[in-house]
Amino acid sequence: MSEQVSQLIDSLRAKAERGELLYIGENVVRVDSLEKVLGNPVYTADLIPRGTVYAKLFHSAVPHGVIRGMDLGGAKAHPGVLGVLTSRDIPGLNESSAVLPDRQLFADPVVRSTADILGAVIAESSPAAADAAAKIRVEYDPLPAIFDPLEALKPDAVKIHPKGNIARQMKIRKGDVEEGFSKSDIILEKTYRTQFQDATPLEPEMGLAIPEDGGVRVIGSMQSPHHTQAAVAKVLKLPPQKVRVIQAVTGGAFGPKSDETPYDVCSTAALAAVKYRRPVFCGLDREDSMVMHTKRHPFVITHKTGVSKDGTLIADESKIVGDTGAYASLGVFVIVRATFHTVGAYEVPNVKADSFLVYTDNTYTGSLRGFGGPQAIFAIESQMEELARRLGMDPLEFRMRNMLVPGKRNATSALMDESCGLPQCLEKVVASSGYREKAARYRNQTGSVRRGLGLALLMHGNSLGPEGNDYGAVHIEVLSDGSVSVGSGLTEYGTGAISGMMQVASSILGVPLSRFKLERPDTSKHRESGPTVASRVVVIGGNASKQAAEKLREKLLPLAAEMLKARVDDVALADGIAFDRRKPSQTLTWDSLVTEAYRRGISLKEDGFFMAPPAPWDQEVGQGTPYVQYTWGALVTEVEVDMETGYYKVVGVHVAYDVGKAVNPGGVLGQIYGGTVQGLGYAMMEELLHKDGAVVNPNLGDYYIPTSMDIPAEFKAFIVEVPGPLGPFGAKIIAEPPIVLPGPAVRNAVLNATGVSVDDLPVTSEKVLMGMKLMQAPRQS
Amino acid sequence: MTKRVITLNVNGTEHPVQVDAPDRLIDVLRDQLGTKSVKEGCSTGDCGICAVLVDGRLVNSCLMLAAQCDGRRVLTLEGLLNDPSMKRLQGTFMANNAAQCGFCTPAMLMASWDLARHSSDPSPEEIKVAISGILCRCTGYYQIIDSVREGCRGGER
Repeated sequence: MSEQVSQLIDSLRAKAERGELLYIGENVVRVDSLEKVLGNPVYTADLIPRGTVYAKLFHSAVPHGVIRGMDLGGAKAHPGVLGVLTSRDIPGLNESSAVLPDRQLFADPVVRSTADILGAVIAESSPAAADAAAKIRVEYDPLPAIFDPLEALKPDAVKIHPKGNIARQMKIRKGDVEEGFSKSDIILEKTYRTQFQDATPLEPEMGLAIPEDGGVRVIGSMQSPHHTQAAVAKVLKLPPQKVRVIQAVTGGAFGPKSDETPYDVCSTAALAAVKYRRPVFCGLDREDSMVMHTKRHPFVITHKTGVSKDGTLIADESKIVGDTGAYASLGVFVIVRATFHTVGAYEVPNVKADSFLVYTDNTYTGSLRGFGGPQAIFAIESQMEELARRLGMDPLEFRMRNMLVPGKRNATSALMDESCGLPQCLEKVVASSGYREKAARYRNQTGSVRRGLGLALLMHGNSLGPEGNDYGAVHIEVLSDGSVSVGSGLTEYGTGAISGMMQVASSILGVPLSRFKLERPDTSKHRESGPTVASRVVVIGGNASKQAAEKLREKLLPLAAEMLKARVDDVALADGIAFDRRKPSQTLTWDSLVTEAYRRGISLKEDGFFMAPPAPWDQEVGQGTPYVQYTWGALVTEVEVDMETGYYKVVGVHVAYDVGKAVNPGGVLGQIYGGTVQGLGYAMMEELLHKDGAVVNPNLGDYYIPTSMDIPAEFKAFIVEVPGPLGPFGAKIIAEPPIVLPGPAVRNAVLNATGVSVDDLPVTSEKVLMGMKLMQAPRQS
Repeated sequence: MTKRVITLNVNGTEHPVQVDAPDRLIDVLRDQLGTKSVKEGCSTGDCGICAVLVDGRLVNSCLMLAAQCDGRRVLTLEGLLNDPSMKRLQGTFMANNAAQCGFCTPAMLMASWDLARHSSDPSPEEIKVAISGILCRCTGYYQIIDSVREGCRGGER
């Protein structure tokens, strides 16, 4: 036995004795890293075959109206044009909707927003399709339009859909808020507003369809291929098995690619592919993507909060209104998640919340990283800061007095157990930022440049909760060369979660991840696994992956025992070898074990399936336990403000998340850095503007997202590990949560530096300056 | 429109290509010459993920006409796959989780390689400036900056 193997076994045995897991918690290189640094042609637009034609979608020019006529003549006569598709060309159902059947693929006859797609020009080249689309003339009979969700809620408002303007309504009822208010020393009522945010994955939505076998093969950039398959089949009036959907490597997603736009581009490409018997590419350019895909909902949230003199929260009543634009999309679940998080990471004995997802004639909103969390937590964390100021209490002490710890109950009365790691997160960021010392020092600043600290705490319910059945299926096959092939209906789109899910199997089988291969998610090969959303891949898919790997191990251990002449219980699989724990000199390579299994005809293919336990929620009563576990977090930001101009920058970020168990710490940090910076964009600069229902800034020159020059010089991230009951090895979710806290933390830091409360995101320098001017202005008597 | 034949030197090989006046460099690179590492993210010069080197200068290939590149040397990631400095950067990008969705990665690598030619130990500030024309929506840039620093130093942490 070589020195190396002997050392390896020593270290593995030591790990086993310490109860540590192989590979879990190690910075493992992702399975998809190599193809990315090589620049391999793996994205949808890289896969366009010769002979492909191009589809260009065209959309409504008015926010609300009835189409009176469409002049397609100019477009059809344009050189290189094969034809123009409209609702008349749809053989099946003219529908492209995720949950409520409220949205057509090609709007006809009513348009409800400028994002409504009317049809597509099909041409030999992409420029020809775009030039032809510009020649289409549409006449509308305009209808009155509503752009303010509060207006849309009024009883006499114009109905945007026949059933009215409320797409979803929800409530929480805990205790008695009226009684709570009567016992309160201070009652504060304030309204907070948030803006449209664009997700801006660097690759916009793309779909490529190739006609085959009486059906169609669709390759696209998306989060949920099986849902896309169902959507395309419905439009084409084909049995689902005639629509084969393959997820290409996807260049960022952040939510909209789990929503309805992938259906739009894939259905359009598939329609044209079947009609013209040609491969068809329907890829959105940046402008079309920013107009047509779902954005983050603007919310209007009013909190009325009662607190006692000693700083104990007694009651909170909130009204939450989300602007879903013209269509509900996944917004019906966004409003649910926002409502569950209405009082955030605090115990409030009396809670009353009423929420409304409201139709307007704005472009529609839906799934976006954080999924209602950023809006809800912005409101409650802003409210907490305002309450602390009115109490004359330090905002940290006020939060510590009321925050959730084991034994306390959240808004829905769910009991927090020992897996609540919020206090540990807060401790980390308070120490790292030097919060107490700095907060005292910054209290009485007089200079023209001032600093401030802002604090925010996070509770983030894991996985789907009451949004639907929460399951995942993973298939693992050990190939004859010893490599391990993993397939699932769950998808990778950048986070590295699929690698984390595979790392779980790698740990169980004792085979390094470098021997693993990811199969491209393919509806003809892989089981439907629900949507790839809610950061649930490592937690839900990880459990399925663990199960499949354990089944394989059960097959391989007896074989290894026989080959090693050892007892089954004594055989360990570790780092590509099998060995006898009692006689570590007895080893066997993974490859020879696999070869022997193949020689004997032992099948090395297994499926794993995991379904999360039900999350009981009583929507009539407004109480329950909607999530099985939570991710916890705390953030301190430090800002520096120029008191003359209102210009400010974030100079420091200190952040900690309780992720239960960091399967791949480098990947976890990647989510924390990336989500926080995207959240800083939301906090400071990002706002997709509408004028009369049309998007004003659908391009990256006018819609700013953070560049490398915008990131804070100091960024300290901490991983806290308090195991949760749901994920493999105690893992909790992490991809979404980091986008949530920067909004309120930046807002609170600016408030503490300047005295200016900015209650509507983003916190721009203009708003800060305006606030300072108003404070200085002599009061009118 | 009449097509014209121009000569592009792409990754060290001369290619005669037929172009129309409005043809963009990115389209010729991707569609005619197959260098698919060049990505399109905005078509307006704002995101930078189509960055290539033309005569040693980093440019957005969506804003440059192919005809402007007649007789000039164009370098894409495909042309640097055997370059030692690029290999070091690819290694540090992999080790530091600097590629998430990967769509900006080729452009980030080109900008980093360009920086590495001029600096063997750039400061974080210099790196931020060097990659400032390229947007990344996934990483928040920190792991990219670490990777560039280590890669420029010859792979040392």
